[in-house]
Amino acid sequence: MSKINIYSLIIHFKNLKKTLFSNLFNTTISFLIIVLISVALSNIFVWLIFNANWKVVTSNLPLYAFGSFPANARWRPATWIISLLLLSIFTLCGPKWKWLQKNLLVAWIGTIPLGLYLLYGGFGLSPIMSRHWGGLTLTILLTVCSSILSLPFGIILALCRQSSLPLIKKLSSTYIDVMRSVPLIAVLFFGQLLIPLFLPIGIEIDRVWRAIFAFTLFVSAYIAEDIRGGLQSIPYTQIEAAKSLGLNQYQIIQFVLIPQALRIALPALTNQSIGLFQNTSLMAILGLVELLGVGRSILANPEFIGQYIEVYVWLASVYWMACTIMAILARHLEQRMSINQAYF
Amino acid sequence: MEPIVIAKNLTKSYTKGLRALDNVSLTVDRGKVLVVMGPSGSGKSTLIRTFNGLETFDKGELNILGIRVDSSHDEKRIQKIRKRVGMVFQQFNLFPHLSILENITLAPVHVQKRRQAEADEYGMYLLSQMGIDSHAYKYPSQLSGGEQQRVAIARALALKPELLLFDEPTSALDPERINEVLDAIRKLAEQGMTMVVVTHEISFAKDVSDQVLFMDSGKVIETSHPDIFFSNAKHERSRKFLNQLDKH
Repeated sequence: MSKINIYSLIIHFKNLKKTLFSNLFNTTISFLIIVLISVALSNIFVWLIFNANWKVVTSNLPLYAFGSFPANARWRPATWIISLLLLSIFTLCGPKWKWLQKNLLVAWIGTIPLGLYLLYGGFGLSPIMSRHWGGLTLTILLTVCSSILSLPFGIILALCRQSSLPLIKKLSSTYIDVMRSVPLIAVLFFGQLLIPLFLPIGIEIDRVWRAIFAFTLFVSAYIAEDIRGGLQSIPYTQIEAAKSLGLNQYQIIQFVLIPQALRIALPALTNQSIGLFQNTSLMAILGLVELLGVGRSILANPEFIGQYIEVYVWLASVYWMACTIMAILARHLEQRMSINQAYF
Repeated sequence: MEPIVIAKNLTKSYTKGLRALDNVSLTVDRGKVLVVMGPSGSGKSTLIRTFNGLETFDKGELNILGIRVDSSHDEKRIQKIRKRVGMVFQQFNLFPHLSILENITLAPVHVQKRRQAEADEYGMYLLSQMGIDSHAYKYPSQLSGGEQQRVAIARALALKPELLLFDEPTSALDPERINEVLDAIRKLAEQGMTMVVVTHEISFAKDVSDQVLFMDSGKVIETSHPDIFFSNAKHERSRKFLNQLDKH
């Protein structure tokens, strides 16, 4: 094994020599680029190690993670995030416990009520209002709740768009077109500022939930289009086979169309949820103190004024890590699905 | 003799002038096998697809298992027919996201509301009848064409149908794989299953059929006993067709 690796490494370097240093011109260009890259890298390295003042990050770690969540209850969001991480690891390694293996999907969906319970409190835990939620916890909550809610909504929209009833078809395609032609930030403003105006006096929706609803309205239009693509790529013969077995229209949708459309749309759907995760940062402008909002409020503290670069480099790396975890999970899911997905 | 399929003057026209079915009438009795032959585009697939409502017709009347269907195509009656009639397609049309056993048990569990364990047991029995019970937990893409088509037959049998429709069941298979599927169909014929089979396989048609129906451009040219049809067909058009097939 190691022999093969060394051999392939040698080949690799030989190829590199051939492509990068084949003649005088290529050699000069290559050297120039190498010098540029090393200067840039060494400068970044020097800044990261010596010049940057990481105190703005290290002394505020709980803030980044939990926002202004009461200090004595921080174990609650921490438990939630750690359970999400553990579940990710279990999912990737192939869970060893039989019951978890069978109920992986249930376990994932179960993390939402668990998270809401831990954050809201009640039933033995002290209740905590949503205005204290913040940081990475809030970012994850917005992402998870919005994507779980927008999936069924998107499926319904996609099915309505394929409907044979003209009114339903027109309504859903109009909705999808409108949502796709409005910028997300406008929808979010709508959620924060206009929904309270429309509601009757006395009824009030939490601003976190208003944000989740706005994200759901927006993302489900995109999800509907992804799923429509999946639905359209299922050959009509599948429907004929299901009909000839006596399945009715709803059973055909439930057992034949939706499972196949979701498998086909899976890569696009994971794209949507990664995009959603990053787009939650828009809520910082609208007053929710999620991960980016925490960064902004820390920068407003006189003690840390002017340390933009440190804070934003740190935030970028947190977003990068979270998105990488999501991407790895998605790839794992796609591979598992593709085992039984070779078509025709 | 109890007739299972009675078709009276079925007519279907696609565009003005062009007729997919032109006054087609036929009867299939219980336990009998009708083989439908004809050049491509002659309307034979269209004909058997009208039997379980996958295809509509403009004029005429159908009576399948005592359920009457006319050109209004009452959805409830067609649904009743589909629960008692199985169909096997040229392209197998298995559900790629379900395992072999799940493909077979889907309809019994959700259409006939049988218990999963009972459906599984009967599904395994059908798979062993088809000689592919070792593949029960694989997925369709992992099987050869011949195996997939045998799964499709088992899937059609899972609802314990009283009539089986085969729409060119071997046309999409490798020549080497055709016989394993034809043998499975022969076995069903021996067990007394009522079947309508669209096929180009002459020797198979000779073995298995009680009646051969020859179609061309939507019309029934002749309906004969196989002994007569294959040795001494009544019509010039049938003889020409058979000669063409023999050359291949």
